[in-house]
Amino acid sequence: MNPLELLAIILLLPLASAGIICLFLRRGGYWASAVSVVAALGIMVLSFVFLLRWDGQTISGSIPWLQLGQDYSFELGFLFNHEAATMLAVVAFIGFWIHVFSVGYMDDDKDKGRFFGGLSIFMFSMLGIVLSDNLFMVFVFWELVGFSSYMLIAHYWDQDYAAAAAKKAFIVNRVGDFGFLVGIAWAYHYYGTADISAITAQIQSGQSGVVTGIGLCLMCGFIGKSAQFPLQVWLTDAMAGPTPVSALIHAATMVAAGIYFMVRVFFLLSPFALEWILWSGAIMTAFAGFCALGQTDIKKSLAYSTLAHLGYMATAIGLGFPGLAIMHMAMHACFKATLFLCSGSLIHACHHEQNMFKMGGLWKKMPVTFIAFFVATLSISAVPFTAGYYSKDTIIASAWGKFAAGHGDAYAWAFGLTMLGALLTALYMGRMLFVVFFGKPNSEKASHAHESSPWMTAPLVVLGWVLSLGAGWFVYNWGWADGVMNGLIPADVAQFMVDGYSHAAGGWEAAHHLFEQSGAHWVEWLSIGCIVAGFLFTFFFYGRGPSQDRLQAKAPGLYHVLERHGWFDDVYDFYVTHIQQRFADFIAFLDTALIGGLVVRGTGAVAGLVGMVSRSLHVGSIHGYVYWFIAGVLLFGAFALGLLR
Amino acid sequence: MSGVGLNAYLFVAGLLFALGFFGVLLRRNTLVIYMCMELMLNAVNLALVAFSRYNQTMDGNLFVFFIITVAAAEVAVGLAIIVALYRKRRTVQVEELNALSN
Repeated sequence: MNPLELLAIILLLPLASAGIICLFLRRGGYWASAVSVVAALGIMVLSFVFLLRWDGQTISGSIPWLQLGQDYSFELGFLFNHEAATMLAVVAFIGFWIHVFSVGYMDDDKDKGRFFGGLSIFMFSMLGIVLSDNLFMVFVFWELVGFSSYMLIAHYWDQDYAAAAAKKAFIVNRVGDFGFLVGIAWAYHYYGTADISAITAQIQSGQSGVVTGIGLCLMCGFIGKSAQFPLQVWLTDAMAGPTPVSALIHAATMVAAGIYFMVRVFFLLSPFALEWILWSGAIMTAFAGFCALGQTDIKKSLAYSTLAHLGYMATAIGLGFPGLAIMHMAMHACFKATLFLCSGSLIHACHHEQNMFKMGGLWKKMPVTFIAFFVATLSISAVPFTAGYYSKDTIIASAWGKFAAGHGDAYAWAFGLTMLGALLTALYMGRMLFVVFFGKPNSEKASHAHESSPWMTAPLVVLGWVLSLGAGWFVYNWGWADGVMNGLIPADVAQFMVDGYSHAAGGWEAAHHLFEQSGAHWVEWLSIGCIVAGFLFTFFFYGRGPSQDRLQAKAPGLYHVLERHGWFDDVYDFYVTHIQQRFADFIAFLDTALIGGLVVRGTGAVAGLVGMVSRSLHVGSIHGYVYWFIAGVLLFGAFALGLLR
Repeated sequence: MSGVGLNAYLFVAGLLFALGFFGVLLRRNTLVIYMCMELMLNAVNLALVAFSRYNQTMDGNLFVFFIITVAAAEVAVGLAIIVALYRKRRTVQVEELNALSN
């Protein structure tokens, strides 16, 4: 079996599963979940078989799909390289465990068939994005993940807010995808091909240059899918979907697909585009961190945290270290999936109560969830030697390193904003941890909570206890541990997991090296200080597990701003209802009056008039016929004789 | 061509044609209209013969023979139609033959 065939099997397995579920198991209940989970297990096993046998060479191959004339051809193909390896490992592994979790979480749901069918469709589309070798194919799968996201957010379709959230996610993504499509068309026109490796080759050989516009247009797609500024409004609403969906799609994989795509087309990004991404990411890091402090809904707070961390990844790309972005994506997938799954476990235990101030004191009742949540909290706050530390602190430090190397003031800003983001991370995660698990239960539901079923706790153990803690240990040491931690993970596994970071241009090592050169070790201490300060502060502020937010009591004005997400939604609402609606009314008026009235009905009216006139000729009077006949003959004769010219 | 020249023939032919023309336009009896059409045919025949004579060729005469033949066939068909119409509608007045209107 050659590698391409194996990749094709990996890609088509979830499609087959989705087909079986959608065609035969719509009402299948547990059978549907069984098919989907088995497919996910198959993906994971095959992916790891593939990765362990992979020799590190780029694999690509394509078949012609559409041939338009001589010059235009669209192809279907795979391009498998280092960043794809890391992404494949993340999607397959985390996808499987979230499938397992879903079995437990959705046990009381009526529509298991639809849900698991949607999960399989999502896995198919996500793997498609990971493996595609040309922009068109990426776009097709891009839209497919958008569709799966839409379908799964609206899983509770009978709730108005879920249906509205699904529509919002879809429509906001349309805005980004428009730019994306323009970028693809532009790239295709400019480079004469949409094949990623072919474009890379062209640029590297100096045959054609990098166009800033193309990079910015493709970035639009990333901004939509990764919910970066200014299209960040959909992600928090997307939390209306079931929690496993929030974990899989809106934290670990789909929103990171934007980052992954940016890494894939990194060679297309000009310095200007990179600076744009840097600013957008760094600002998002701080902004979303603030907003996370103002949420009472545990999932919305986590969604803002996701936005902040996507901002970190964008910052890494903007710094010019795509490998670092891939690494943070992988680490983030581990701990953020854990956090979401923990919140799912909590929500399930508290009978679908999502307000964290209605929980409290749960650490005794739900020890497994608590430990997983605690570890993931440490990891996301980048406590040294947890997974998040290796990527997040490297991003912050390399921003400083870039500035110290004299690349410009923008990097100092990026450093400041990401450092602020780190402090905010500690604040909102500490707040969540203390409010949910400490003190005493603040509601009837929370006092009856008990630990979830093994279906749900097993993924928490794997993703939380193990990976959130140790996913970063295969990265070489930073400071203390001198690579000791590497021994904990088998060398060949470490190999492909580390591939995406070090081989991709400007990976973790490059970033780390840059930071080492600047010699500013106070940066590490500063970030650790931020974490400690954040946790201490939140412990004193929220340590008793209060039943309402003390920030709201102390500073209602500030809290209100945070709660309203900085009024972004209101601004967009105003724009849509007032400006866009007016404009649409105007266009509609033009359409009905000018086009409908004048052009369409006008042409019809001309025919009608001619009909009216000619109808009056044909009233059955023979004399009338003769008159006209003779008039015609005379006219014709006059022409023939040349009397009329 | 002594005495009576081409113009005289053509004048008579035009007169006959005009007579037939206005007859077709103004009379209401189908049979009369029909006879007027024959009158127009004959006016043309006359003109053709006159030209034929004037040009010293037989083309016009040939034409006339054809026209007479066709006219005879036409009379057979047309009259049959008119008779059938009369039997069906008991009238030959054109303004009453308006079954196709409205």
